[in-house]
Amino acid sequence: MTEQFKMDAPATDRRLDGMAQGLVGAPLDRPEGPLKVSGTATYADEYRLENLAHGMLVRAPGNSGRVRLANRDAVAAMPGVLAVIHDPRLLRNPAQGTANKAPVQDANEAHYLGQPVALVVAESFEHARHAAHALKIELEGGTPRPVDPETAAIEPQSSKGLDQGDLDRAMTEAVHAVDVTYRTPSHSSAPMEPHASIAQWDGENLTLRGSYQMLKYNRNELADALGIHPDRVRILAPYVGGGFGSKLGLAPEAVAAAIAAKETGRPVSVALTRPQVFETTMRRSETRQRIRLAADAEGRLAGIGQAALVSNLPGEVFAEPVLQATHFLYAGENRRLSLDLARVHRLCAGSVRAPGEAVGITVLECAMDELAEAAGIDPVELRRRNIPEKDPESGKEFSSRRFREALDSGAEAFGWSDRPATRSRREGEWWIGYGMASAARVNVLMESRARVTLAPDGSAKVETDMTDIGTGTYAILGQIAGEMLGLPRDRVEVVLGDTDLPPASGSGGSWGAASSGTSVYVACQAIRAQLAERLGVAETELTLKDGQAVFDNRTETLAEILKGDEIAKEGHVLPGDTSKAVRQATFGAYFVEVAVNGVTGETRVRRMHGSFAAGRILNAKTARSQCLGGMIFGIGMALTEELAFDDRDGHVANHNLAEYHIPVNADVPQITVELLEERDDWASPLQAKGIGELGICGAAGAIVNAIHNATGVRVRDFPATLDKVIAGL
Amino acid sequence: MTDIAFLLNGETVRAGGAPTRTLLDYLREQKGLTGTKEGCNEGDCGACTVIVTDPEGGLRALNACILFLPQLAGRAVRTVEGLAEGAALHPVQQAMVDYHGSQCGFCTPGFVMAMAAAHAQGRTDHDDQLAGNLCRCTGYAPIIRAAEAAQGAPLPGWIESDREKLKTLSAAQTAGDAAARADAASGPAGGRAPYEPEAGQGTDATLTEAPGFIPETADELAAWYLDHPEATLIAGATDVGLWVTKGLRALPETAFLNRCEDLKTITREEGRIRFGAGVTMTRVLETLAAPYPSYAEMVRRYGSVQVRNAATIGGSLANGSPIGDNAPALIALGATIHLRRGDDRRDLPLEEFFIDYGKQDRQPGEFVEAVSLPEARENFRVYKISKRFDQDISAVCAAFDATVENGSVTAIRTGFGGMAATPKRAAAFEAALTGQPWTAKSVEAALPALAQDFTPLTDMRASAQYRLEAAQGLARRWFAEMSGQRTNVLEVQP
Repeated sequence: MTEQFKMDAPATDRRLDGMAQGLVGAPLDRPEGPLKVSGTATYADEYRLENLAHGMLVRAPGNSGRVRLANRDAVAAMPGVLAVIHDPRLLRNPAQGTANKAPVQDANEAHYLGQPVALVVAESFEHARHAAHALKIELEGGTPRPVDPETAAIEPQSSKGLDQGDLDRAMTEAVHAVDVTYRTPSHSSAPMEPHASIAQWDGENLTLRGSYQMLKYNRNELADALGIHPDRVRILAPYVGGGFGSKLGLAPEAVAAAIAAKETGRPVSVALTRPQVFETTMRRSETRQRIRLAADAEGRLAGIGQAALVSNLPGEVFAEPVLQATHFLYAGENRRLSLDLARVHRLCAGSVRAPGEAVGITVLECAMDELAEAAGIDPVELRRRNIPEKDPESGKEFSSRRFREALDSGAEAFGWSDRPATRSRREGEWWIGYGMASAARVNVLMESRARVTLAPDGSAKVETDMTDIGTGTYAILGQIAGEMLGLPRDRVEVVLGDTDLPPASGSGGSWGAASSGTSVYVACQAIRAQLAERLGVAETELTLKDGQAVFDNRTETLAEILKGDEIAKEGHVLPGDTSKAVRQATFGAYFVEVAVNGVTGETRVRRMHGSFAAGRILNAKTARSQCLGGMIFGIGMALTEELAFDDRDGHVANHNLAEYHIPVNADVPQITVELLEERDDWASPLQAKGIGELGICGAAGAIVNAIHNATGVRVRDFPATLDKVIAGL
Repeated sequence: MTDIAFLLNGETVRAGGAPTRTLLDYLREQKGLTGTKEGCNEGDCGACTVIVTDPEGGLRALNACILFLPQLAGRAVRTVEGLAEGAALHPVQQAMVDYHGSQCGFCTPGFVMAMAAAHAQGRTDHDDQLAGNLCRCTGYAPIIRAAEAAQGAPLPGWIESDREKLKTLSAAQTAGDAAARADAASGPAGGRAPYEPEAGQGTDATLTEAPGFIPETADELAAWYLDHPEATLIAGATDVGLWVTKGLRALPETAFLNRCEDLKTITREEGRIRFGAGVTMTRVLETLAAPYPSYAEMVRRYGSVQVRNAATIGGSLANGSPIGDNAPALIALGATIHLRRGDDRRDLPLEEFFIDYGKQDRQPGEFVEAVSLPEARENFRVYKISKRFDQDISAVCAAFDATVENGSVTAIRTGFGGMAATPKRAAAFEAALTGQPWTAKSVEAALPALAQDFTPLTDMRASAQYRLEAAQGLARRWFAEMSGQRTNVLEVQP
């Protein structure tokens, strides 16, 4: 039986606050931790199915021309080779998140260097790899194609932009004005687990063990790509080794594995090599952003401009939503925001952790630092002065917003008042500086379903196709169910990652916890109502704790109430009017101290603090870890991470972890995180908002601003590598 | 190769087949032990870390992805599946659960193994011990806290039991006698089906490989190598491993040197330290930490624990990489490389060994037997500059040493990496400083000469201009440090 709930009005009842088990919010360990530390959590490419064959994708060696397999027969005859697959259904690139249908399928034409155009299937991984290497791909009739976004054809994304008031005039009349252009490079999610799929057919039914974030969409995408009904497709992804956006949409290896498994009549595993992860999974678009800020003598903004250029492959609708949080973070009545999309033949651009804000707010926050300097106002104070009362474009109220508190509390915790004057503190070879930035990320609730079953013995089971990509879903769904049903955490089993289970929101856009958590909450509410009915009391009069019901001064165990029955309810949450009625977002602030070497230009982050407000925190441990992880992404973005493209053919020049520099332990200082107490009634009945991405939305800006405070050098071309810093020293 | 025997989680296993099969592939594909993860397959990420115990009882963390099976002959391997004792998690595993050091969990087994190795050795320098493991979720701090929490917990029983079992894993079971080894090395490889040559995009090499030769002594190696001068000599495989896993090269003939105990000796005579070519960089670091702290600091950063535990000083020089950090340091120290061909031996100043990009002064059948260097040079310093602090190839590596008498520079030696096609001395800079007073002014006056010595490239690691500026900056840093100023890159804690 399904209980539907639509988020049409603020949930002011705050039921979780009245529950007795004390699980929600507690910093509980993830229940699957023991499996992960002992190597027994099974990831996509770890099912040793009988008769398993291995496939290796083969890439296009250029970005144009018709694909021809020059020595297909010879390769097919190589020892151990089972099939050479060159099929029109192969995906050109991964699907965008929530696409729900197949992306462009075209193995016959090369669109970017690295595009998978064939699959070699063999008895062993080594056989497949060797034969794939031997397969010669020729491109016929190709023509030169644009790979540089700054010179390529542009498609304005006018629906994303805004022209309000008169920004040009505001700039002219401003007492303090900033007009600067920043660039951020492409990034790769680079999750630790390379993408992999094992496909297995049973007659006309396909089971795919994959590494994916959003199974209900992925199932439809896979079915669409293969031209079969979604009912025939089952995807399993109980453990996912990180995603950060790169596993939102169905990717080429899944379709290739499915085709190969059908053709060979055997289960087939296709795992990407690390270079293939860099070459064929989603990249974050590089951006060029011109920021204009017009302020009065007190630093109050009269105008904000952000003109962004991003890029993607022809045919892709995704344009990095750079402007997303600029729309509402700061006041200023004259606003001109615009987004242009350049069509280039680099690998596909899509969601990488916090698409939009990760680069959009980072750059805006650098420009705000420049304004603070120009106006001679403390950077924290400048932001405080520009917190808008209402959404500056729509005039809507904010749902909940502890932005000012994050700024103040963070500044206090960090010791911001000791900030040195620009280029004034030196310790030996090192220049020392402080920097800060605001954090902001939109909040979204998505449709989601979960089934909760209360067994006769009073234990519970939560089942949904929701994923846990390291975020803590196993932990928090169990906490919510335990809280609502009055069960200790270990009396709740959580089963995830199987499309045979009720379809969830998936993990992405920071919406997973609140959306899937609400579906569990709704199911539990229905179970509570039924328990109350059995006892003849109002549901609100029922206290459930430690497997017992307390009501009317009486106590009964759940087993006694259930009398051998089980109660199973499916919770189904739908976004509703609250998503439009108010502006929903999460906020925060970062504070950073850096040391910059005067001789070599090396930057060391010495300490970093973040204060964040994201509604109710469901698990203080996993939420804090999300913030930590996001801030470390920020360190990488500020100092080292950059996908480098060859400007002749657009191929990725640094397709390995030795040269795409994600931060190592030694790059990361002690980081402190403060989670502000907050309830957002508009966001969800849990009063929770998303927190998975907030930690990266501006973090890199705080670091680059600190470099300026230390040295006086403004680096406007991310990342701030040592050569760029020393050039200004 | 000859079937080799080793212990895997306490059980004796025998493995045959192509000698370039990696332990990682063997574990995951053949043994179904998928706890050991593949994150990069080139030693960058540490997700495949395992613990290997030597016959002498020493234990270390190694990357399974660039570890060939013959390197394991007579050794004991522990994977993450073999860490817990029954239902009781190893202390580092429990701490990782308790401190939330595992999120997506994919890097976790590698971290756990590196932590368990450090725990067994009583190490508390967790930042260094875990520098070879990448994590994209946690931000590392929870993992470091977990490592701290597990400090001092009792050692698991398998450490001793593996050592005991290794004593009875006889030489015959591992690699056979000399004649048998040489014989076996000339037959076809077992295991994988041989491949036929194919015209391909990148290679038309065959994957047919002869069984690897596993000598027990340097004499045995010398004699065999004379007859097989085309063979690839493999010590730690931290470089050659990538030829196979990334370059997809077949190595038709191979010899694995890590059972040659006589190549692993460290001796001191006449004021010089002599390292056998097979001495690992871990032991080099330990030996040189006292006399040359800046060298130890550089080596600490140039590879991870897992890489240093495998890599050898001989291997790092024999391949002549222009980006290696060892050569510039050793050149400035006045190192001598000792070469051997059959029973003939010759010595070269290290800088003369590097002829051109990828080309060394090594004759067919000749191998690096040892490297020697002075026991103490008080003015020696080496500096490494890289974009990322750990596990990154240097943009510039610069090493300096000077003899100062009566306030004047009477002799100077430098070594630079990342500035030219080979590790090189800066002749013009050295000439400009020789005979000059040992002052900041003299150093400053000599700096422009570096532009005569080098025309560096612009690449992803740094621009040409940066390299030149940084090289000059490092010369300044050298003098500053010699005159007592603090310049240590680690002294940045608030």
